[in-house]
Amino acid sequence: MAGAVSALFLLDIKGRVLVWRDYRGDVSAVQAERFFTKLLEQEVDPDLHDPVVYDNGVTYMFIQHNNVFLMTAARQNCNAASIFLFLHRVVDVFKHYFEELEEESLRDNFVVVYELLDEMMDFGYPQYTEAKILSEFIKTDAYRMEVTQRPPMAVTNAVSWRSEGIKYKKNEVFLDVVESVNILVNTNGQIIRSDVVGALKMRTYLSGMPECKLGLNDRVLLEAQGRSTKGKAIDLDDIKFHQCVRLARFENDRTISFIPPDGSFDLMTYRLSTQVKPLIWVEAQVERHSRSRIELLVKARSQFKIYSKLHNCSTATNVEIEIPVPSDATNPNIRTSMGSASYAPEKDALVWKVKSFPGGKEYMVRAEFSLPSITAEESAPDKKAPVRVKFEIPYFTVSGIQVRYLKIIEKSGYQALPWVRYITMAGEYELRLM
Amino acid sequence: MYGFQGTLVRTKPKPVSPKLTRSFRRRAKRELLSPSALLPPHPHPTDGMAPPAPNPPKSSSPSQPSGKSEVTDLKLQLRQLAGSIAPGSDDSRRELFKKVISFMTVGIDVSAAFSEMVMCSATSDVVLKKMCYLYVCNYARSNPDLALLTINFLQKDCRDEDPMIRGLALRSLSSLRVANLVEYLVAPLTSGLRDSSPYVRMVAAIGVLKLYHISPSTCLDSDFPAMLKSLMLNDPDAQVVANCMSSLQEIWNLEAGNLEEVSREREALLSKQVVYYLLNRIREFNEWAQCLVLELASKYIPSDSNEIFDIMNLLEDRLQHANSAVVLATIKLFLFLTMSMADVHQQVYERIKAPLLTLVSSGGPEQSFAVLSHLHLLVMRAPILFSSDYKHFYCQYSEPSYVKKLKLEMLTSIANESNTYEIVTELCEYVANVDVSISRESIRAIGKIALQQYDVNAIVDRLLQFLEMEKDYVTAETLVLVKDLLRKYPQWSHDCIAVVGNISSKNVQEPKGKAALIWMLGEYSNDMLDAPYILESLLENWDEEHAPEVRLHLLTATMKCFFKRPPEAQKALGAALAAGLADSHQDVHDRALFYYRLLQYDVSVAERLVNPPKQAVSVFADTQSSEIKDRIFEEFNSLSVLYQQPAYMFTDKEHRGPFEFAEELGSLSLDPDTVENVIPVQSYGSSDNDLLLGSFEKEDGRAVANNDSAYSAPGYSTSLIPDADFLNLTTPSIPSQPSSVLVDLLGLGTPDTPPPPALKLNPKGVLDPGSFQRKWGQLTTTVSQELALNPQGVAALAAPQALLRHMQGRSIQCIASGGQPPNLKFFFFAQRDGETSSFFLVECLINTSSAKAQIKIKTEDPSLSEPFSALFQSALTELSPS
Repeated sequence: MAGAVSALFLLDIKGRVLVWRDYRGDVSAVQAERFFTKLLEQEVDPDLHDPVVYDNGVTYMFIQHNNVFLMTAARQNCNAASIFLFLHRVVDVFKHYFEELEEESLRDNFVVVYELLDEMMDFGYPQYTEAKILSEFIKTDAYRMEVTQRPPMAVTNAVSWRSEGIKYKKNEVFLDVVESVNILVNTNGQIIRSDVVGALKMRTYLSGMPECKLGLNDRVLLEAQGRSTKGKAIDLDDIKFHQCVRLARFENDRTISFIPPDGSFDLMTYRLSTQVKPLIWVEAQVERHSRSRIELLVKARSQFKIYSKLHNCSTATNVEIEIPVPSDATNPNIRTSMGSASYAPEKDALVWKVKSFPGGKEYMVRAEFSLPSITAEESAPDKKAPVRVKFEIPYFTVSGIQVRYLKIIEKSGYQALPWVRYITMAGEYELRLM
Repeated sequence: MYGFQGTLVRTKPKPVSPKLTRSFRRRAKRELLSPSALLPPHPHPTDGMAPPAPNPPKSSSPSQPSGKSEVTDLKLQLRQLAGSIAPGSDDSRRELFKKVISFMTVGIDVSAAFSEMVMCSATSDVVLKKMCYLYVCNYARSNPDLALLTINFLQKDCRDEDPMIRGLALRSLSSLRVANLVEYLVAPLTSGLRDSSPYVRMVAAIGVLKLYHISPSTCLDSDFPAMLKSLMLNDPDAQVVANCMSSLQEIWNLEAGNLEEVSREREALLSKQVVYYLLNRIREFNEWAQCLVLELASKYIPSDSNEIFDIMNLLEDRLQHANSAVVLATIKLFLFLTMSMADVHQQVYERIKAPLLTLVSSGGPEQSFAVLSHLHLLVMRAPILFSSDYKHFYCQYSEPSYVKKLKLEMLTSIANESNTYEIVTELCEYVANVDVSISRESIRAIGKIALQQYDVNAIVDRLLQFLEMEKDYVTAETLVLVKDLLRKYPQWSHDCIAVVGNISSKNVQEPKGKAALIWMLGEYSNDMLDAPYILESLLENWDEEHAPEVRLHLLTATMKCFFKRPPEAQKALGAALAAGLADSHQDVHDRALFYYRLLQYDVSVAERLVNPPKQAVSVFADTQSSEIKDRIFEEFNSLSVLYQQPAYMFTDKEHRGPFEFAEELGSLSLDPDTVENVIPVQSYGSSDNDLLLGSFEKEDGRAVANNDSAYSAPGYSTSLIPDADFLNLTTPSIPSQPSSVLVDLLGLGTPDTPPPPALKLNPKGVLDPGSFQRKWGQLTTTVSQELALNPQGVAALAAPQALLRHMQGRSIQCIASGGQPPNLKFFFFAQRDGETSSFFLVECLINTSSAKAQIKIKTEDPSLSEPFSALFQSALTELSPS
């Protein structure tokens, strides 16, 4: 359904309109504001209501970013997935312009906000949403510099995501291979589900219209080329590409070729649903001594190899383990064998941080809390939270994905430097307690 | 508060020097990944790509200036600057304009400065112009007279040599939305559509649509649609093409009268030529426009299977697009294309599985919400699809509840023999772990799975364990479920009653849970020793019981108990009837009175009514008719799927999306007669009406709750006839055709044939799919009926082709068919043989398991619809295996 949006609102945390753009004139700001503030009053936690709400003939769809709500109002039967994505793009564009999207940055930049909203959507239909292309239209911020009087380039060339005439003194490309591990372990220590979501994040600082070609150790490709794939090829489940990648070409011969947009973007994302061994394993024992004391013994073990192919010494960094404790615990007494642990009452959790956690090691933390001896008769139901783990492991990927080459060819023939970096981090990493 | 520091009123705005501003520019954040200190630093490029940083004019105001004096002051300053050509005057103007815009945004009325703003707009500075346009558009509608002032300079700017200015001016001009200014819009739009710059053409294409909304006649009379069409097919710029397409779709959709010309235009947009042209260029479009093209293509009806495969091969790579909207649009197209090819359709499901699963976990929670809603819809149609991927729908602790809820629904829908154990185990985790609303939903989910008849044994055990958790809400939800389970599986009553009997009614506060408990007390009085005494103690607190639902159940349960254990319950019954008669709630009062009179009339009749022999409920009524579900599927990839309602239920007529198909379905489906395609359920007795209507729709606020009249009067009035219960058993749900139903029930299989038709059909009627779809969209339904098929007919339907040949023999042609047993769907048409040669269109839904057909007939000549309907029905009922 290609329905059009009637208006776009930017609202503060209480639901008051900061800026709005009326595209079709069939919803009123007052009505929308009244509705939305009421909605926010009803529920303290914005998580609780659906992001799509219907009121009196109008569908409101909203997302939150920092202390700002972005909301569309529509009377037509719109394409919901597309609108949410559009709102996220609006956030990206604003971030590009204001560094961060929040109430204050909006208030400081009304004029640019209006300009952007005008170019991103016309009469409720999305138009251009790439920050770099929009900068062709947006004049206000550049007002101290000479206003370039060339016609907007983007719309006249076939590559809609990149404008012509970009120049850098030093041509460089940064490629980050980021894999996040999602894992869920049940109370018996069994892995219920695990998967890996990977992304190739790129930042390009390249002049002209460069042609890039990326080679990965993709099994299908290597086998097609008749090379041996023993041990170093990988299977990727579902690959998604940035719009710059020539999809047809990939379908044909698995080559990833593209003219990149300028600046940062996600070149490709993929998913791996094979069982992953938990990289960091946490076991927690909770003992309740009498009614007034609780003792925790938490062991964390790193289960990745000390030596990896990419780098000689793998170490998890910024490890943060959150162990839930009863909400009425007091008087923490904590000892750790490594790192530091502290009680975070706002999360009802013991937070244990280890800056550097080499592979194959095991560390421990012991904690003791007092509990009030008298508890309220009807205490709030225990929300048993899982143990949650955050970490990063540089120079390491779970999937074993490797960038074999990244070729950059531009007609002026410059040499560009590609920089590649690998990192694995925890995504939704949860271990259920007892 | 925020934002504006310093003083509001400055007599002379001081231009800030460029250098100064640039040095204040915030530096772009450099670290892309996590800001880990331990990572070896990336070599970073030196400055250069910092985004155009904000440099807010730190000039203005306390946040809520009182207004008047400031506005006057601004006017004065603007007037001073109006004619100035001194160097730097543009900068000063910019500062002033910004201030005006800020005022406007925070809600101060600055329309008083209109003429000054217009005076200052005579400038070549793009920034100033932009701000001025913004200002003008904002105030034009409320000040049409002032708007007239701006026409002149806007028109002039439309001829500016800078394409940027031409485009902006044209957009502003068309956004004024002042009806009496449309005459000034036609010429600039016409030249805008022919402009050399794609930016201007792109703006003009949407401008035409804006004009249409102000004055449809002006737009159509100036022949804009034709210009848009030729631009759409010829313009080299993709965004121009996309905007033309949006405009045309909306215009022809809104024009959707019965005009021959309009429908021809609408059809032309869906012609092979146009669709192929757009699909071949799809890679040039940006992601949003790609969605539009795919959406348009999903309305296209290919002529043969080769075409279908060509299109799918062309578009398969779209499934790898990073934009979830593009992927969903592609999926819709694939599903719609293959609707009539069962095996390919199945392959499509297999192909789209991986991309869909990825979409669930990528992107923000709102996108997951949208994608999951669509997945849920697909799973309803193909439950087996994700049955081995159930782990993808396990909830994560940090997800928002709206995502969790949908995941629970998914888990419920994909549960089958192979995965029930794992799914229920996971759901049990949620009952104990997460927040209350999810905990409740999880219990309901477990119950639904149990009612689907998988692994009931283990589930009942688990449910009973929940009762031991002694959490109020868990107990209440569980009781409701146990009640439903008992109605379906009476064989579990011993286990359940033993546990339920231990629950003190004082611990159950929630009306629904309490009502369920009371129902069990009444129904199983014989098995629960204390039943009469518990009821008695509950009756003592009658006045404190706020929910009428509970009081109603109390009445009925006491009645039941009385018939089972008269001596012990007599006292309670007296108390219940007395309390009920004195009750202020109408339903409670009426029911008490009804019981009272019934007992007076004849105790044995009363017993038969209240305590009929128990029969298990086989299927709980589904609240949504399959027709509505199909309708929602037709609107795949739109809000309909999220609301689980077709568009007509939540949009006004004039806001329906482009190419709404068969709008009149709406009124029909709301008609209670058609909604009631409830699978015949054998009832316990009329006093249980409230339970009979199924437990699902009560919980499900989103569903189309037409059956909300749980305690409605008709139930009782029929019950006054002693045999009501008996009648109720024999004539379920099809009151319109009792004779055929009776015949069918007797299994004779010889339905009464309608009188011989007087209508003659053209045996060689021809209608192409496009025209069929168009006509279907235009015409209204004249006949809508449900009829029973004879068993031979159903047997013959094992090969749907048999039906097609059979109907063809009677000059009724099939144009499309689909679905999988037991649900088949056919579209037929026939043409009258004679001078008028009007068409008849039929939609026929056949359920082979219940041997029912639902037909809907549309005709160009309403006077002939009855004879044709008779003809069609007789043709259908005469079907037998050849």
